[in-house]
Amino acid sequence: MAQQNTVKFTFSTMTLALIAMAIVLNIAIGQLVALLKLPIFLDSIGTVLVGILAGPLAGGLTGLLTNLIWGMVSSPVAAAFSPVAMVIGIAAGLCAKYGLFKTWWLAVLSGVIITFFNAVVAVPIRLYMFGGITGSGADFMTAYMLALGKDLFGSVVVTVFTSNLLDKVVTALLAWAVVKGLPSRTLHRFSREKRVAT
Amino acid sequence: MSQPEKNRRNDDAVLYIRGETWLHKSHPFNKLIYVLLTGVVAYLGPETMLLEGCCIALNFALAVQAGIFRAAWGLFWRTMLPLALFMTAIHGIFYPDNLTVLFSLFGQYYYLEGFVYAGNILLQLGALLTASALLVFLTNPADLISAMTQAGCPPSLAYLTGSPLQLLSVMRARIQTIQAAQRARGLESEGNLVVRFRALFPLVVPLVLGSLIEIEQRSIALEIRGFNSPGPKTSWRIIEDTARQRALRLLMLCVIFLLVILRIFS
Repeated sequence: MAQQNTVKFTFSTMTLALIAMAIVLNIAIGQLVALLKLPIFLDSIGTVLVGILAGPLAGGLTGLLTNLIWGMVSSPVAAAFSPVAMVIGIAAGLCAKYGLFKTWWLAVLSGVIITFFNAVVAVPIRLYMFGGITGSGADFMTAYMLALGKDLFGSVVVTVFTSNLLDKVVTALLAWAVVKGLPSRTLHRFSREKRVAT
Repeated sequence: MSQPEKNRRNDDAVLYIRGETWLHKSHPFNKLIYVLLTGVVAYLGPETMLLEGCCIALNFALAVQAGIFRAAWGLFWRTMLPLALFMTAIHGIFYPDNLTVLFSLFGQYYYLEGFVYAGNILLQLGALLTASALLVFLTNPADLISAMTQAGCPPSLAYLTGSPLQLLSVMRARIQTIQAAQRARGLESEGNLVVRFRALFPLVVPLVLGSLIEIEQRSIALEIRGFNSPGPKTSWRIIEDTARQRALRLLMLCVIFLLVILRIFS
């Protein structure tokens, strides 16, 4: 913790290179999954990995920069959701800190926890900036909940939670599998590797 | 792939369109703060649709001046059309405060309140989107990064924002290689949902693992080149910043501050 409290850009070169790579992974895999037409996004796998391997602060920075860069290279709408991506990285880092990435079922639990924090930040943005609708398939869920007589806030909460749950659980599982698959020679070069080793 | 070819592809990866107009040349921070200003005007300013409409018109006028109207219009249309369709349909029918029936279509009533709400949100988004379009189409990301470093941001932040832009095309090529290799081994990546889900692990895990292992070499390469050296870092790019630009920036920040204060106390 002491090392983390000196904050801001005291990251090691290894961590900086990891963050840069994770940003690219987020964007590239996000696009790959869109190509496979899966009902998930998987655009935060790099963020979650950095959270696990280098701590919440680095994870949050990865998420924030991913969406800002995404806004610059393809669609400015992504930049609006950068606080959400940041929270995902912080949540993943905290989960790893408390040992929640040690086994696959703990990783599933981490996915659920990340979904919760994701919703806390995503709901206000979706609600106040976009009026609850973002022009994606998830809008049908919002429409359905509204038709059932829920208010706009409740509908958006349910939509954000359900549309992200599967995505975040799969992301956490993949991140867990990757960390387990890393050769220990590489794993031990990262600063927080002890949190994931069983 | 030869080096020049790689560079060309990197240029394609961003939305920036080269140009020499005054808008291209204005300081990146000015464009950034302009986006912020538009957002504050649209979301926190006086609640009238006319104002947001004017913002959109102004932004398009600026886009015409900078010669990027087609690109800005394309982005606007692509982003706003699906939003508008979903927004008007869903809020027109289901908006919780709906009272006044406007018309009915195929036995479904559409209400005035929902349309007003949807229209308002769409205009707010449109204003913000067009302002962002001015930023992304007229600012070379490299200039924005250099400006940040010149303003005192740590150079490592410049690395974090700059290098992903260059790595992106390399990564896309690597994805294609992995896809081809796994298909050669009999991986099905088309078919029903279960098949496509099962294709995910063999595609994603090698990509991520390979990238993580590569990080060690990257960090060593960076350190060899003085990435960690404590002395001042110099830059090849110098971003011009005139007194007029600075004054304009200050003015915009004052307006933002005023609007926020007004919003809090009203």
